[in-house]
Amino acid sequence: MSLPLVEIKNLSLKYGNYKALKNINISFFPGKCVVICGPSGSGKSSLLRCVNKLEEFDNGDVIFDGQSLKSAKNISQIRSNIGMVFQHFELYPHLSVLNNITLAPIQVKGLSKKDANFNAMKLLERVGIDDQANKYPAELSGGQQQRAAISRALALEPKLMLFDEPTSALDPEMISEVLKVMRDLADNGMSMLVVTHEMGFAKDVADEVVFMDEGKIIERSSSKSFFENPKSERAKEFINKVLLKI
Amino acid sequence: MDFNVIIDNLPFLMKGLFTSFQLAFFTIVLSLSLACLIAIGRISNKKYVRYPSAIFVNLLRSNPLILIVFWFFFLVPLITGRPLPAFGSVLIAFVVFFSAYFAEIVRSGIQSVGSMQIKAAQSTGLTYPQTMRLIILPQALKNMLPALVTECVIVFQGTTIAYIIGMREFLHSTSLVAERTIRPIELYLFAALVYLIICFTGTRIATLLEKKE
Ligand SMILES: Nc1ncnc2c1ncn2[C@@H]1O[C@H](COP(=O)(O)OP(=O)(O)OP(=O)(O)O)[C@@H](O)[C@H]1O
Ligand SMILES: [Mg+2]
Repeated sequence: MSLPLVEIKNLSLKYGNYKALKNINISFFPGKCVVICGPSGSGKSSLLRCVNKLEEFDNGDVIFDGQSLKSAKNISQIRSNIGMVFQHFELYPHLSVLNNITLAPIQVKGLSKKDANFNAMKLLERVGIDDQANKYPAELSGGQQQRAAISRALALEPKLMLFDEPTSALDPEMISEVLKVMRDLADNGMSMLVVTHEMGFAKDVADEVVFMDEGKIIERSSSKSFFENPKSERAKEFINKVLLKI
Repeated sequence: MDFNVIIDNLPFLMKGLFTSFQLAFFTIVLSLSLACLIAIGRISNKKYVRYPSAIFVNLLRSNPLILIVFWFFFLVPLITGRPLPAFGSVLIAFVVFFSAYFAEIVRSGIQSVGSMQIKAAQSTGLTYPQTMRLIILPQALKNMLPALVTECVIVFQGTTIAYIIGMREFLHSTSLVAERTIRPIELYLFAALVYLIICFTGTRIATLLEKKE
């Protein structure tokens, strides 16, 4: 068995007095696609944001690729190895799609503009929007924006990709184009943590499913057994609710 | 009325106007730069940065400009034992005073940009300073442009305060000519017209920028 890519140890997170994460212990292995699901407010986004230390956790530690985030001096450097995709895309509205993607490679990795452009165009081609490179984010459809945002995250050649409800803000007809890109990534062996309510994606693409509730991890199963045979009552309820809604 | 006095004294008056522009220009450039730092301090999550910035802003905003000018022109030399040159001391006073106002504009501009933009930028490995410079401030600048232009107009009007320490800015030059030629009506009408044109233009620009949003 390989070493874990992410090791979360006794992690707790508070917002003021509210405990969003309660003593989380879990590891994720390279090359796996793991879906994290659970009711609203269960701490999924918070957990994801701890993995690249966008939240300042007050207890415990996250070990990414052998490095402790708690004591990390070069947190920016570590973050550049972890791509993140947001519900509302969060593209930079004042920059063209191309410049959105090349900014970090140039600023963080010190790539030349020429190389960064070349790589960015390849990524845009891969997600099928190379013809949109010189437009501004506001001129793109939601699905195109999210694909551009995925390209931005991929541009740093990350070891891990974090997705926080990447399709929740999209119109139904655009969801599949984004899911296709994600499936393609998973098929190519990218390590992924995906918060999503897309149970089809969890069933077909994910290797594992982690179910959270009230700031705790309730269960972790292979995606097959999670849907066929959930261990906890709460997961059963959740699956029924989500599947019925669709 | 004889408006020839204006034409006869135009070079002298224009020299005064140039001084006013100079003072306004350097004040705006320097205080806006300082304001960006103070504004970032104001929203810092570190108390030892946030509190001093807040105290600075509130202290300066609760004093009249003229008093700050007095401080730097009369009182600082008393403490240090060395007089400051007039333009230098006025410029310092203006920069200190207006940076507090600009800082509040910049701060609300920064806060108008969603906090998720900061997270997105940091997730790609940009440091906090890079995030501010490349992602947040450019967006903030666009949002705060109307307020900034309006404040620039106020700075320009504020340059008349330099009169009290004898600096030959536009209003002072005008009054010197008015006394010498005994034609105050013509000259002060001319001064009013000049201030009107400049400030009205500025205010119009601000309104247009606001509509463009
Ligand atoms: N910045 C914040 N400040 C204060 N409380 C927060 C903050 N972010 C999240 N919370 C709270 O922490 C809890 C967990 O939030 P989180 O966003 O991690 O949940 P989630 O599982 O992602 O929910 P959702 O499915 O609605 O996105 C919620 O109760 C939320 O209200
Ligand atoms: Mg969430």
